[in-house]
Amino acid sequence: MLKGLWKTFQSTRVGRSIFRIGLPESKLERAQVAISSFLLHMQPAKVNRRVLKFRTTLGLGLISLYLFLILVVTGVLLMFYYVPATDYAYQNMKDLEFVVTAGLVLRNMHRWAAHLMVLFVFLHMCRAFYTAAYKPPREFNWVVGVMLFLMTLALSFTGYLLPWDQLAYWAITVGTSIAGYAPVIGQKLKFMFLGGHVVGESALIRFYVLHVVLLPVAAVMLIALHMWRVRKDGGLARPDEPQVTQEELPPAQLPVTKTYGLMELARGTTPAVGIKPEDEVFAWPDLIFREILLLMATVAVVLILAIFWNAPLEQIANPVHPPNPAKAPWYFLGLQELVAYSAFWGGVVVPALLVTALILLPYLDRKRKGVGVWFSRERKVAITIFTICVSAAVVLTVVGTAFRGPNWGFQWPWRPIHVEEHAEP
Amino acid sequence: MTPPPDNKLRRRTFLTLWLGWCSTLLALGASLAGAGRFLVPNVLYEPNRRFKALKPDDYPEGPTFLPNLRVFLFRKGNSFRAASAICTHLGCTVNLAGEGFHCPCHGSVFDQSGVVKSGPAPSALSWLQLTLSRDGRLVIDTSQAVNADKYLVV
Repeated sequence: MLKGLWKTFQSTRVGRSIFRIGLPESKLERAQVAISSFLLHMQPAKVNRRVLKFRTTLGLGLISLYLFLILVVTGVLLMFYYVPATDYAYQNMKDLEFVVTAGLVLRNMHRWAAHLMVLFVFLHMCRAFYTAAYKPPREFNWVVGVMLFLMTLALSFTGYLLPWDQLAYWAITVGTSIAGYAPVIGQKLKFMFLGGHVVGESALIRFYVLHVVLLPVAAVMLIALHMWRVRKDGGLARPDEPQVTQEELPPAQLPVTKTYGLMELARGTTPAVGIKPEDEVFAWPDLIFREILLLMATVAVVLILAIFWNAPLEQIANPVHPPNPAKAPWYFLGLQELVAYSAFWGGVVVPALLVTALILLPYLDRKRKGVGVWFSRERKVAITIFTICVSAAVVLTVVGTAFRGPNWGFQWPWRPIHVEEHAEP
Repeated sequence: MTPPPDNKLRRRTFLTLWLGWCSTLLALGASLAGAGRFLVPNVLYEPNRRFKALKPDDYPEGPTFLPNLRVFLFRKGNSFRAASAICTHLGCTVNLAGEGFHCPCHGSVFDQSGVVKSGPAPSALSWLQLTLSRDGRLVIDTSQAVNADKYLVV
């Protein structure tokens, strides 16, 4: 029935003007639909059979992208009610929770999708490392990925400031103070972020503009570049295969009557190099179907989280007393743990070194070994170093999250954390 | 512009290129500098950093917390001094704990004269300048630090 309706629509002038190729039936049309459709042209007409296997990437990059889309949609909706002013921001949050229809669910979705995005971008980075996907020619795309990870953290940091609750207020205070420790320009930088000496209205509006305009636009451009380069670098990283040279190909294999068109130029191990035709599948419908399935699963998970768990909202910002302990969201607690040893070393030097190491990684570790293979035995040293760093980050995060109580003192996680709130007279 | 046959850079081409690039970079730099300067506010709508408090006799013996300034005022008989309650580590408000101060955010501990006893704070809490106004009220200047042993005796 639906298919019949679609065919009728497709046969009209209007239908043809919008969708040039209908539902593809022949192989030619399956290729054409991927090339001529705006949304579908992000993927090639044909992909390697490996791409369809879940274990190749675990879908982590795509899930990150979907979470970003969920964040854009829910974020734009929240903007209709949110006013970035210290007198209104907190009340707007309460309105969203108790007055606005579906406001609570949308805010919850926005918060949980943000938390998940930090997690999945990080996991995606680990996947790219453990499958050696940053090796030539993909070095620069790894760098773009590192920038996207930083962008994700910056977006979430500027985001949780906006409700103007205790978390927000003390996170700006601590975050901008860390910026103040940067050598030479530190204090100037802090003044620029805050738009003054104290955390107040001008700081809120600055972080708001960063959160809803500057950072998302930058993220969209970087995501586009990231995905475009995946295409240009020959699709997903995969193991080198025995090269088939032109001479070895018996000419009789090629059908005599066939028209070729130049669809795409890519360098390195392009989809066309070293692949036998039987290794390739059409993106439509196998890949597209899997992608849509993953999108639906991602939305479903975020929605379920949002329905059953409410996003935290602390008491209204109190410039006099920080809550005790004053904790950032879990993904910054590793950093907070480091900062609790030394603001300069833990807040400036160690993060700067880590980011530099991540950016330099593909230029230092250049040998094409183990590309496209999980935990290749040929990369023992690199894998060991990376795993130690990741474990350190995880341990610090766990300690900061579960083992820190009042005054940032050590506390066993089974003892309930009693957050002192100061009741104002 | 056709290149000269001997492939040498002609004077006119050289000048055009030089002028073109210089003006482009100048325009770009000036725009960036202007946009950057635009972000630095000229007027701050912030509470004054010099604050007129009550008369000395209105404060009890011992410490008093002045919340809107985030300052501890100490009275010992006739002598007064004021300590900033802003942790020198990352700007949280410290709490009075016994004789000293405790920061709830990252666990810095200060003794009664504000000196760091443990924790990540890089320097001691600052003691603030206290003066007496003409109408006999205490004036606290949060932008002026003084030595810890300086008291205002009234």
